Amino acid sequence: MEEVLFIQHDVIPALWRGMIVSVELIIPSALCGLLIGIVIGVSRVFGNAFLKTLANTYVAIFRGFPLVVQLFIWYFGLPHLGIYLSPYVASVLGFSLCSGAYHSEYVRGALLSIKRGQLLAAQSLGFTKMKMIASVVLPQAFRRALPGCGNEIIYLIKYSSLAYMITCIELTGEGKIIASETFKYTEIFLIVGIVYLLLTSVASWVLHRIENRLRLPGFDNYGL
Amino acid sequence: MTQTPVLRIEGMTKRYGQKEVLRDASLSVNEGQLKILIGPSGGGKSTLLQCINFLVTPDAGRVWLKGEEIVRTQKKVLYEYRQKLGMIFQDFNLFDHLTALHNVTIGLVRVKGMSKQDARDKAVYELERVGLKDHISKYPAQLSGGQKQRVSIARALAMDPEVMLLDEPTSALDPELISEVLTVIENLRANGMTMVMSTHHMGFAREVADEIVFLEDGHILEVGTPDKIFLNAECDRTRAFCSKILELYGSA
Ligand SMILES: Nc1ncnc2c1ncn2[C@@H]1O[C@H](COP(=O)(O)OP(=O)(O)O)[C@@H](O)[C@H]1O
Ligand SMILES: [Mg+2]
Repeated sequence: MEEVLFIQHDVIPALWRGMIVSVELIIPSALCGLLIGIVIGVSRVFGNAFLKTLANTYVAIFRGFPLVVQLFIWYFGLPHLGIYLSPYVASVLGFSLCSGAYHSEYVRGALLSIKRGQLLAAQSLGFTKMKMIASVVLPQAFRRALPGCGNEIIYLIKYSSLAYMITCIELTGEGKIIASETFKYTEIFLIVGIVYLLLTSVASWVLHRIENRLRLPGFDNYGL
Repeated sequence: MTQTPVLRIEGMTKRYGQKEVLRDASLSVNEGQLKILIGPSGGGKSTLLQCINFLVTPDAGRVWLKGEEIVRTQKKVLYEYRQKLGMIFQDFNLFDHLTALHNVTIGLVRVKGMSKQDARDKAVYELERVGLKDHISKYPAQLSGGQKQRVSIARALAMDPEVMLLDEPTSALDPELISEVLTVIENLRANGMTMVMSTHHMGFAREVADEIVFLEDGHILEVGTPDKIFLNAECDRTRAFCSKILELYGSA
């Protein structure tokens, strides 16, 4: 009985709070990350030499540094430069920049898969480079990049658990606090794990819906 | 008085590394003329056609459209010039994510700034002209090769070009689909469209070309009427090529 009350009064509200924070971290990070990924990916394929170098360097750094280290830099390092970010903002910044670097790889691959002939056709019609990218390249590349980018978003859901390392107390953070107060590590983290599983399942379902929505003849997994 | 050619190119030269794939090619096309480029694969036909609208940047060479020289380094001039040249590619190059209709409207809307409704009307008209009235809402993946090539012709024509450049428009087609595309091209010619086309279809070239240009190893070796090229070529290389092609494809 005591057990049930404990779960009802302490565990559920805390984990619920944590989950809300997690979702608030994940959604903006996923959207900003995707946007950054598109900009960086396009720069890597269609940019001039300078832009390409800049974008490649970005990816090298943000994929190369461990994410925790990046978060530490944003949260503990920036104050040395007089910039103070809240744990939440530092986390969203860290996640967006890092997942942007990964997204850009999927976007780049998708851009390269667009047949060169279509670019020639667009140019022969008098498209400027920017218009060609916007109306011919990205709509196709986006469809091809979606499975990879979706995967990155699922991954983000899980690495959002690193936010508690810079005191942004989300789902894992709340779980850790309760667990250390009660020593019920196994039970609490089992529940935490199941909540992540639920989040990733919802995300896959939504991503699948989007993929189906955007499906066109000729883009449907090569007719399979 | 000689008339001003619609399109004139002078001294077109293109190198890839050490290899000269186009050497000092010059050509002029009069209003309503159909010039056909023939020659062995790798001879430089595609390169020449793509140098004309600067899809390939030539190392040297000048271009005039209706007497006006095109300064390709001025982006605005280049983009406007390209709109005036329709280009047809061997493998169609339709935009895979758009229906036949939208393949045609996209240039009208995004490049010419036409309203969606006007673009639609124009596109439907052009697609009807190439016999695709019933296929306007199909995606490229749902069309046959011949239909795809006709969509690409409609897409180019919708821009109201002064000249059409056609790069082996039937080479990627199954034999039974070739004639539907050639018929469209013949109609264009009958309506006075100025065209430069490369093809291996000698029967067609002989029947409808005003002039034939023989291109080998990046050189224009001979230019002449179909009769001259096929019956009385001056150049040995031209004769050798024509007889080889006749052997391969018959005289059709
Ligand atoms: N992008 C390129 N890079 C290097 N060589 C090329 C390139 N494009 C064409 N070539 C070469 O230029 C020559 C002419 O090619 P092309 O113009 O396609 O001939 P054709 O259309 O008459 O078959 C060929 O030897 C081809 O290998
Ligand atoms: Mg060719």
